[in-house]
Amino acid sequence: MTRLRILSAALATIVLGGCGGSSAHGPLVVADFNPFSGADASFGPEMVGGCEPAARLINQAGGVLGHKLTCQVVDTRGDPADAVPAATKMLATTTNLVGVLGPSADEAAATVPVIDTAKIPMFADTGEAAFDHSKFVYFYRLTPADDVKGYALAQWAHNRGYTRAAAIFGSDVGAQSDVPTLLTAFKALGGTIVSNQKIALDQSSYRTEVTNMLSAHPQVIFTEADPQTDSTFLSEVQQLHGMLPVIGTETTLQAPWLKAVGGAIGTTQLARYFSALQPYAPSAGPAWTTYDHALLASGGSVPNPSQWASDPYSMTYYDGVNLMALAMLAAKSTTPADYAPRIVKLTQASPGAVAVTSFASGKAALAAGKTIRYIGAGGPIAFDQWHNSSGAYEAAVTIGGKTKILGVISAAQIATLKAGG
Amino acid sequence: MSLLIASIGFGLVTASILAVAAVGFTLQFGVTNILNLAFGDVMTASAFMGYLATTNGVNIWAAVALCALFGAVFSVLLNRLLYTPFVRHGTKLFGMIVVTISVSLIIQYTLQAIWGASFFSLKFSPGRSYHLGSMVFTTSQFGIMGIAVAAMLGVYGLLRFTKLGKAMRATASDPVLARSCGIATDRVIDVAWLLSGALCGVAGMALAMNVTSFTSTTGGTFLIAIVAAAVLGGVGQAYGAMLGALTIGLSSEVAAGVIAPSYKQVVAFVVLVLVLLIRPQGILSEVADQKEVAA
Repeated sequence: MTRLRILSAALATIVLGGCGGSSAHGPLVVADFNPFSGADASFGPEMVGGCEPAARLINQAGGVLGHKLTCQVVDTRGDPADAVPAATKMLATTTNLVGVLGPSADEAAATVPVIDTAKIPMFADTGEAAFDHSKFVYFYRLTPADDVKGYALAQWAHNRGYTRAAAIFGSDVGAQSDVPTLLTAFKALGGTIVSNQKIALDQSSYRTEVTNMLSAHPQVIFTEADPQTDSTFLSEVQQLHGMLPVIGTETTLQAPWLKAVGGAIGTTQLARYFSALQPYAPSAGPAWTTYDHALLASGGSVPNPSQWASDPYSMTYYDGVNLMALAMLAAKSTTPADYAPRIVKLTQASPGAVAVTSFASGKAALAAGKTIRYIGAGGPIAFDQWHNSSGAYEAAVTIGGKTKILGVISAAQIATLKAGG
Repeated sequence: MSLLIASIGFGLVTASILAVAAVGFTLQFGVTNILNLAFGDVMTASAFMGYLATTNGVNIWAAVALCALFGAVFSVLLNRLLYTPFVRHGTKLFGMIVVTISVSLIIQYTLQAIWGASFFSLKFSPGRSYHLGSMVFTTSQFGIMGIAVAAMLGVYGLLRFTKLGKAMRATASDPVLARSCGIATDRVIDVAWLLSGALCGVAGMALAMNVTSFTSTTGGTFLIAIVAAAVLGGVGQAYGAMLGALTIGLSSEVAAGVIAPSYKQVVAFVVLVLVLLIRPQGILSEVADQKEVAA
């Protein structure tokens, strides 16, 4: 992988040497750089649900420095082997490429260096903890890293009064990245993880693992695994003991997981025993309302747009595009290397800064010579020195396609646990 | 100790599904010399047939019988319409493996195109749980084990006591000699595909019942364990496949209980490698040593 990264970066440097500016005419392009096919094909459309409403509103407000803005899909197929050539092609052939949404965890390790070398700001949705303290100048992340989920899971279980828990996570890298912080935080909150199992995925049975877990008498199960694994595991919990409360990560709030597990244990049982933590994105407030209206009006470019109305990832992509566009206005340049340093400043509270909740209001305030602080559809943004803004988490259930919020784990609570760990 | 006993019980359920599938897989290979890597996908197609049946009110056990019929017909047609023309054109074992991989992908993607990349659950109740010491079984698991035992006894009786079984064994051993002795080997091959397909259909339904949610790739994922059980027992050996399934099923469950869940597959395949180091031809080797894959 390291060799691949070095080669990719070198290739990008050769191909793109001196690149990063934009032509005087034509639309500015933001690339939706994510899987649109393959196992994680569901990621890409989520991104389109954020980019298109942002572009719509930016163009309605007169565009950016005389340019319209468009979103362009770049399919990474969720595989570094496909994503690296896709990135180099995107960087080499896209006129007026000013920003990138993505990459996801599937291809971030291989492609972040390529995009960073080309000096194009990217709003990544990868959850890899490796980017918590990365030195990539053009890397920005508005969604929490995977390891942060562990803190949120522990805090939510603590809030519900659970003191004995089982950690049942798939053996894949993504799921396992939640575990260390979960163990540390739950212990710090006075709880005990009575069973911690890394389970092999997609087995025909987990009865031995379930029996082992039940013998430790947990009150609650923490989990993240693929839909088939969790449906088999949880249906066997139901058979051997009766259902136990389950707290999952945002992966378990996705439709395939809910369908598989709901089919296995019954939707009534699912609604009664299950909750999951996902990045907090309040479906309320002026920024969200603007996003929601633009999203619903984008049916021509976003299939079934309402499905993304309360999706925290779609909201942060929307915010990413707005931030890049406002930074261009603040820098009076569409050249990425010029405007990128403005991105963080646009989110900071400072004396005299005007809070803005849309591109249009931000553009007007900047034109009036004011300093602005952008408040996103996903809530206030607070970047750390590595350009990560984790924010809060919400506990939710999805019943009949409707998401119901059960409670919120604040950014301060997570920060406290993080400091303790 | 009680976890060990419980895991042996759970291993019996896994081994039962594996045994039905592995015997079907190896029986067909023994007679036809085609390593059918689309076997797992025919299992999945059968599970979808079972899903259609159970969602339309068909009783789960009647659906199992329906899937056996579906798997049998599907497999015979697969052989007649696709594999036989390749064999007639002189395609060798390796070429046929490539053909079966292609068929596997065609079935998998066709299922995905028809049903979508989603998860499906059979409409049935697993029934009440029964405790036998530390072991726990549901009614449906007893049913699965019962079907496996009946299928194994049936295959044993067929191969051991009937003329057809003897013809199948003769064809598996030396098809040219069998033909010159007056055995209608083409008919024997059809019967082998029929039987193998029926077992494949039953295994597909049993797997779907056990995992509770399945998708278009579920059977394909299970294929590695099926091939492992067949190879462990001695390729082409129906009785060997039964032993192989028992070994893989029990060792994986016991490993999950005694060592750690993440070593489940590791231990099962370490056992496979160790057995093959000692007996490269598999546990039972009557036919295996005549097949290319075991050479």
